[in-house]
Amino acid sequence: MGLLTNILLAPFLGPVWGTQWTLEKVDRVVREQLTDDTPIKEDLMALHLQLEMGEIDDAEYVRREAGIMERLREVREWRERFGMSTGGGPVRVADGDEEE
Amino acid sequence: MSEMETSTPQTPAPALTGSGEGKYVYCIIRLDRSRDFGEIGIGGRARVFTINHNDLAAVVSDTPIVIYDPTRENVLAHEFVNETVMREFTLIPMSFGTVFRSEKDVAVLLKSTYQAFTDVLEKMRDKIEFGLKILWDRDKVVASIERDNDEIRRLKDEITRNAASSTYFARMQLGRLVEAAMEEASNRYVAHVHDQLKDVSVASRSNKVIGDRMILNAAFLVERKDERAFDEKVKEISLKFEDLLTFKYTGPWPPYNFVNIKLKLEKAT
Repeated sequence: MGLLTNILLAPFLGPVWGTQWTLEKVDRVVREQLTDDTPIKEDLMALHLQLEMGEIDDAEYVRREAGIMERLREVREWRERFGMSTGGGPVRVADGDEEE
Repeated sequence: MSEMETSTPQTPAPALTGSGEGKYVYCIIRLDRSRDFGEIGIGGRARVFTINHNDLAAVVSDTPIVIYDPTRENVLAHEFVNETVMREFTLIPMSFGTVFRSEKDVAVLLKSTYQAFTDVLEKMRDKIEFGLKILWDRDKVVASIERDNDEIRRLKDEITRNAASSTYFARMQLGRLVEAAMEEASNRYVAHVHDQLKDVSVASRSNKVIGDRMILNAAFLVERKDERAFDEKVKEISLKFEDLLTFKYTGPWPPYNFVNIKLKLEKAT
């Protein structure tokens, strides 16, 4: 987490409580960025559109797709690390209550 | 395209070491006997077959317990199975990448969600989905706006005539006017398209546009019997605006955008 380190090592800028508050906020922002796959999915859709419009060829698509898949995997790992739900992987009907 | 939403409660992720006994689920159909759809499944042409419960069937193939990346290859495999099934059946598509650990877990899904699946299948009977994306050529649209909008034309002429003395403010105002006119034009095109397709479709849904050239990213639910009429209407509109707009028309799809069953799924451990 480079951003956090930068903040931690930055010259003293304000009262301690201010730094504390910033840290919590930064932590939250970093966490949201690490675990949000929406922009990655948008990139994937944009890439697909480019292919559909004939702006890129198959080889280029496959090449850039690999990068996007890598980013998706990273987000998935972070989500798992934070104990958040992830798409994919084995599922089953939740125990206990019936449908709806 | 968005699919059925699956809510996965927070459970720590299990180690994903597969035994090969998992089931990849493509869709749910109405069928009271087992059926083989051939070797067309995801992950290298796995055999696609059904797991049945009363008159419902899950269309599945064997899979190791893995997470499938939404690569084009995988997504196409998922879609190809649904397209094949769709030729004969009304179906409820499952989200891409839905894997159950065992045949028994799939049977539990069918049993516990039986009523919801049955209701939705009835609602979706003989209906298909089409995707319609409309992109515009910004330069051409701006040119046509400058041609048709008196105020903008006058302001632009004025700025060009007095290039040296024209104020920053006048340029700003021109930019703002063009921006507003473009938004209005976009809304007008989109409204026109929706209006034209209203009579040949059952429902529509607008999704978020992709990139800055797209003005419409919509899905339309269409009765099978109206497929040709819908088709012709789309062609008619796209011809009418062919100078300014590019139409990307796809389908028929399973009703991905019109089925919203909240499945209570959790990670299998």
